[in-house]
Amino acid sequence: MDLVAGRVYADERRPIRHIDGFLLLVTAILLLLGFILIYSATNQTLRLDRLDPFARVNRQMVTAVIGMVLLLFMATFDYRFLKVYAGFIFVGVLLSLVLVHVPFLGSSAAGAQRWFEIAGGAGGLQITPSEFAKIGLIVMLAASLSELKRDTPTVQDLIRICGIALVPLMLVFIQPDIGTSIVFVAIAGGMLLVAGVRGRHLGALLAISLVMIAAAFQLGVIKEYQLDRLRVFIDRENTPADVRYNLDQAEIAVGSGGLFGQGYLHGRQTTLDYVPEQHTDFIFTVAGEEFGFVGAVFVLTLFALLLWRSIRTAFLSKDPFGTYLATGVAIMFAVQMFVNIGMVIGIMPITGIPLPFLSYGGSSMLASCMGVGILLNVHMRRFK
Amino acid sequence: MERSGSRLKILAFVVACMFVALSTRLWFLQVLAGPQHDRDARDNSLRTVATDALRGDILDRDGRRLVHNRISLEVRIKRDELGDEAEATLAHLSEILGVPAQELGEELDTKLYYSYQPVPVAEFVPEQVYFKVREEPEKFQGVEVVEQSVRSYPQGSLAAHLVGWVGQINAEEIDDPLFAGYGPSDLVGKAGIEATYERWLRGKPGEERFLVNSDGDVLREFDPRPAEPGHDLRLSLDLDVQRIVEDELAAGLQRARTVFDASTGRNLAANAGAVVVIDPNTGGIVSMTSWPTFRPSWFVKGLSPEQDHYLNASEAAPSLSRATQITYAPGSTFKPFVALAALKEGLATMGGYYDCPADYVHPGDESGTIFHNWDGVGAGSLSIAQGLKVSCDTQYYQWGSDFYFRDAQTNQEELQRRVKQWGFGQPSDVDLPAEAAGTVPDRKYVTEHRARYPDGWIPGIDILLAIGSGEMKATPLQVAQAYAALASGKLCRPHLVSRIEDGEGRVARKIGGHCRRIPYTEAELNYIREALRSVTTGGTASSVFAPCSLDVAGKTGTAERPPFQDTSWFAGIVPAERPEYVIVATVEQGGFGAETAAPIVRNIMSRIYRTPCEGPALGEAED
Repeated sequence: MDLVAGRVYADERRPIRHIDGFLLLVTAILLLLGFILIYSATNQTLRLDRLDPFARVNRQMVTAVIGMVLLLFMATFDYRFLKVYAGFIFVGVLLSLVLVHVPFLGSSAAGAQRWFEIAGGAGGLQITPSEFAKIGLIVMLAASLSELKRDTPTVQDLIRICGIALVPLMLVFIQPDIGTSIVFVAIAGGMLLVAGVRGRHLGALLAISLVMIAAAFQLGVIKEYQLDRLRVFIDRENTPADVRYNLDQAEIAVGSGGLFGQGYLHGRQTTLDYVPEQHTDFIFTVAGEEFGFVGAVFVLTLFALLLWRSIRTAFLSKDPFGTYLATGVAIMFAVQMFVNIGMVIGIMPITGIPLPFLSYGGSSMLASCMGVGILLNVHMRRFK
Repeated sequence: MERSGSRLKILAFVVACMFVALSTRLWFLQVLAGPQHDRDARDNSLRTVATDALRGDILDRDGRRLVHNRISLEVRIKRDELGDEAEATLAHLSEILGVPAQELGEELDTKLYYSYQPVPVAEFVPEQVYFKVREEPEKFQGVEVVEQSVRSYPQGSLAAHLVGWVGQINAEEIDDPLFAGYGPSDLVGKAGIEATYERWLRGKPGEERFLVNSDGDVLREFDPRPAEPGHDLRLSLDLDVQRIVEDELAAGLQRARTVFDASTGRNLAANAGAVVVIDPNTGGIVSMTSWPTFRPSWFVKGLSPEQDHYLNASEAAPSLSRATQITYAPGSTFKPFVALAALKEGLATMGGYYDCPADYVHPGDESGTIFHNWDGVGAGSLSIAQGLKVSCDTQYYQWGSDFYFRDAQTNQEELQRRVKQWGFGQPSDVDLPAEAAGTVPDRKYVTEHRARYPDGWIPGIDILLAIGSGEMKATPLQVAQAYAALASGKLCRPHLVSRIEDGEGRVARKIGGHCRRIPYTEAELNYIREALRSVTTGGTASSVFAPCSLDVAGKTGTAERPPFQDTSWFAGIVPAERPEYVIVATVEQGGFGAETAAPIVRNIMSRIYRTPCEGPALGEAED
């Protein structure tokens, strides 16, 4: 009897039985929605260039398949292995962030050194290490925080943790990629908060950050176009129209959607290709214009469900490492979503952050899938 | 775990705040400010430049071209490509065009074109200009010489009023919903069938769309949509007949001016006239002309000051078509319709005889008004037919008076109702713009025009109406339409265009055949037709038609038009036996019908049927 009962018990404890199907479903819907939006955003342009109007969607689908493989892979092994290899992962991430600055290896656009070009040309693959660095940072921070002896991190702990976060942050910041830097800061700050950092320590951190930002401005590290973006956000009325263009067009697009939208493939701004970078950073404008407020709220709801499952996983985790991992992923999704959509609808300054799962782009998609994989992993191994 | 759980709640709360912030902002942006953004999206910087479609041709019944397009070389300047060398470029251009550079500069300063649209500065330039600009492109940066299609009129002034003209759309038109989709520099039909069939002739302009940023820089060009050429119009008009008609009207007017008019003590002015030739079986207009006339080609290069004055300010008013846009009292040409009304209403019979005294006084009229016969002579007792033959007025005065009394009893306005059955008093709905409706004075009209009728509804109105005089007014086309109905037994809507064809000659629409039977028996109509035949064989027009072997049923008309000389009318049906044409001529200040209008119609018939009239040709007697 004992033996049988033991087997049943063991069977019930098999992680696969506790996989978070709902999270997978939400992820799948987000991916499908992404294809739909990307098609609308790109088919006209591709047609005009006499290319296959499905070219971009097809490519995104291929990426999504790779992403699903990665996602499942991230869920197969016990997540605690990540803690063992956290140091290696982190160093690898830092290396890639350094290598992207090496002239012959890294590629640049608009003055920013951001990605590796593998097999150049139209069919080539671009790998943006900073996307994967987010996952690397989450793993490293989770590992460090879970090793803390006390419930409330001491100042030394704080300095060590911040030191860890600061290295990739600086590397990304000098690319320059302010958007990703913000995500890094948010991930580190959020994880520290959950780790129980004292309020006054957090306050001090905030003060130091402000000083550093001020210094960055003073030292001219911030580029002119970044300043422009900030100016648009702060003082829209007095900004030249060409600086304001992106924001104006995006806001017109979303706004003209009204309550129910203009109908799929019928968005005026979308079909006429008014919104720059629409299939990447401004993908949300397609949903806003063609599906209206109802559609926009639907997208928000999907993200709300995603975040609910993430935070729930953090709650359910059997150990602090799992909690921190899930927290980090949740913050990554939340901040990217908020900064991206907020930028599109004018409540956040323009920063080049992709919208998870919806924006066209390989690395972001893969990193997001890895994030979900980690969540699944923590969730299905929540029993001791 | 306890503590991290409560901190996770803080995190969850922060995330919830994010959603609240985003949704609130979206609600504001999409629902509250949605309409404004929708407008913004509409007038976003998408610029559409229309490319002109080739306007359709206008062809006569046999496919001969009245209007087509020809190529003109046009010099255009792209203002955004002029660059820093603007002045030098204009100077070079001025040299080869022979136009002061300053004038070219002024041409560029226009609001008719969007800033990214090339501005035409010279049209109809010789080919050398094209070659010079091509040879030295560096001198002519931003200058292009392009082929532009313009209207061409191979028949000269022939059928000018029918064809009409095209011109640049004006401020009122561009606000008119009828011209939705027209640009500020578009050409539109302004008169004639160019105007009536604008929708068909124009074709569908092509479209070049540009994406323009807020500075007006072209960001991108979209796939252009090619223009679709306009439809061709196939007319019922016969160019040969039109040529004859215009010839004969001009000659007839010339002749009339040599005739002394005893009542005014000077020669007839014969300052204007019109002829309408219509196919009574279909209502198709075979020919129609108005004098004085003009050349449609004047409008192609723009009117010279003299032309502009002549067309728009002179008393001659040559741009008005006398055939459809001006009304005249029809005089005795109106009598057949009154006679038929009297027959139908039982005031007269085909077998009856009616007094034709020299004068007529309305019974019970104490004002002393005497209505005279036109020649001041009585003719005893006449049948209806005999009365038409000699155009007795006093018979008709009597019927007019009878109608007045009938109406006083029934209140039915029998005379007015009857004559309106022939199309009088309402537009014929011909396919030409600004047609005059004419007037049949009835109670309603009299009430509405109190000033002209100080005595109100009096017998004199019906009495004068009976001889087509007084306020009774009709266009020559309306008279032709009524005679066509008399000839065929059906009232047809007159039309100039018979078919609309696409570029490959496929018929897109057939026009014509809108006819309705008139409520008279064949016996009644034949009686009147026979009577009208006697007009040309032994009646008022017999001296005109005697030398010809033409079978014509017709009626002369002479309408008083104080203080001017009489309006001369003739309406004829030929051949009377199996009518093929109804021809109506009207000459302002042309004297008697038999004097001016009838000879014009006779000559036209004689030339159409190639049956020369024996004896001296009219007007050539003095030679």
